[in-house]
Amino acid sequence: MACLVRRLVSMIELDGVTKIYKGEVLALYNISCAIAKGDFVFLVGPSGSGKSTLLKLLHRQEKADHGSIWIAGREIGSLPKARVPRLRRIVGCIFQDYKLLPNKTVVENVAFALEVTGSPRSAVAEKVHPLLELVGLSRKLHSYPNELSGGEQQRVSIARAFVNRPPILLADEPTGNLDPDTSLGIMRILDEINRRGTTILMATHDSGLVNHARRRVIRLDKGRLVQDQAQGQYHA
Amino acid sequence: MFSFGFIFRETRNNLRWNITLVLATVVAVWVSLTLFGASLIIREGVQQATQRWQGGIEFIVFMNPDATEDQLVAVEAGLSENPEVESWDFFDKNQSYNEFVTAFSNQPELVDSVTPEDLPPSFRVRPTVTNSEAIEAVANSFNARPGVRLVSLPLDAIRVLQENTRQISVFVLVLSVVVLIAALMLIANTIRTAIFARRQDIEVMKLVGASNWYIRLPFMMEGVIQGLLGGLLAVPMLFLMNDLLAGFVEEDFLALLRSLVLDGGAVGGIAMMVTGIGAAMGAMASLFATGRFLDV
Repeated sequence: MACLVRRLVSMIELDGVTKIYKGEVLALYNISCAIAKGDFVFLVGPSGSGKSTLLKLLHRQEKADHGSIWIAGREIGSLPKARVPRLRRIVGCIFQDYKLLPNKTVVENVAFALEVTGSPRSAVAEKVHPLLELVGLSRKLHSYPNELSGGEQQRVSIARAFVNRPPILLADEPTGNLDPDTSLGIMRILDEINRRGTTILMATHDSGLVNHARRRVIRLDKGRLVQDQAQGQYHA
Repeated sequence: MFSFGFIFRETRNNLRWNITLVLATVVAVWVSLTLFGASLIIREGVQQATQRWQGGIEFIVFMNPDATEDQLVAVEAGLSENPEVESWDFFDKNQSYNEFVTAFSNQPELVDSVTPEDLPPSFRVRPTVTNSEAIEAVANSFNARPGVRLVSLPLDAIRVLQENTRQISVFVLVLSVVVLIAALMLIANTIRTAIFARRQDIEVMKLVGASNWYIRLPFMMEGVIQGLLGGLLAVPMLFLMNDLLAGFVEEDFLALLRSLVLDGGAVGGIAMMVTGIGAAMGAMASLFATGRFLDV
């Protein structure tokens, strides 16, 4: 009963999740944790600790070998392939390498996420411009990605992930390629999005950023959960 | 929600980015469907001609050039009394000469060497029976009459004609099927290239939650459009071919080949079918290509 209640309250819940690549490389082992609605959680650990794998499981880019994953009260391991797009509309994703389309402008890149999920063009204009203002790119609407700095490209990527207003946002090392000042700018945007009610799980190994934010920290090491601490600290 | 505008824009972009390959594919579909349509026109023409020949066949009783009036009257009476003869026309020497001059107008030296007196008068006979053995029996009954030089039956010519046209039709059909298969593979490969060229877009579409059909449809429409365009281009070619055939057989003075020419309605029916096959080819090839190369 307690388990059911927790599942209903949690936005994300993992129960004994294990992932083994090619039957021999252990990426995650027996991970269990729950993240409540509106939380901002850092997922930390050294390279190869399983952070990206965990995010891929939550986004159904990969499937767990054992255990179950619940997103917004729904188990996603048994989700049919045709229903995965619906899951991805409630779980936005930000990547270290931005994954912007080079032949589209800033506006077009963000609008693309709305268009491909069936939004009419009128809604596209309504939603995209205020969001680009939020991330501080209202003066670069018609620039192409190669005309932007790394920080600006990441802000476009955040706007694209958030344009559908997903209740969950996964960020895979979003500041990995950025200098400390730019990273702080990205953190401020993510904080703002979190204040608007979106649950954020951010993978990083930037200890400075984690310790400055004083948020919940989940630490992985060699695929095992070794620390889960509210207002946690991380020392790489 | 479903935005057709987005699907159309993506399809247009796919076609534009891939324009040279798309054009090559459309040409391949066009050629293959023209050949296929041509084979259908020939088959249809042979069927039509066979029906007409069997229904309206005539044999010719050639008299000797020096046949007497009595001999002509006797043959005439024999034709009138025969219940298996539906009707007949008499061609005297002058009418035969006029026909000869028309038929050999491109050989003036031959025309010059012949006078109306050299040509035999003849009876053009349409029997009531339709099967070839019965017609042969009626025709032969006039063979032994006095003054008759020979009875000419076009049955052998029809058989040769049927056999030749059947062979041509089969050859064109086989050739068109081979080219159709090549065109199918070309459409599939064009779409594969488009999928490869747009792999980044496809990856982003998947990551932001585009449904499988949203990703697939622009590629499928691209295939259908290529097939449809090839089919539509084949339509005027089929009408042109039928017209060329009509012009060619006009010179056939026996009018034997004229039955091979189809009317506009029949060619239109074949043209519609060919266009439909083009669109279906595009859909099939793109369904295969997206199923095989698009991991959604």
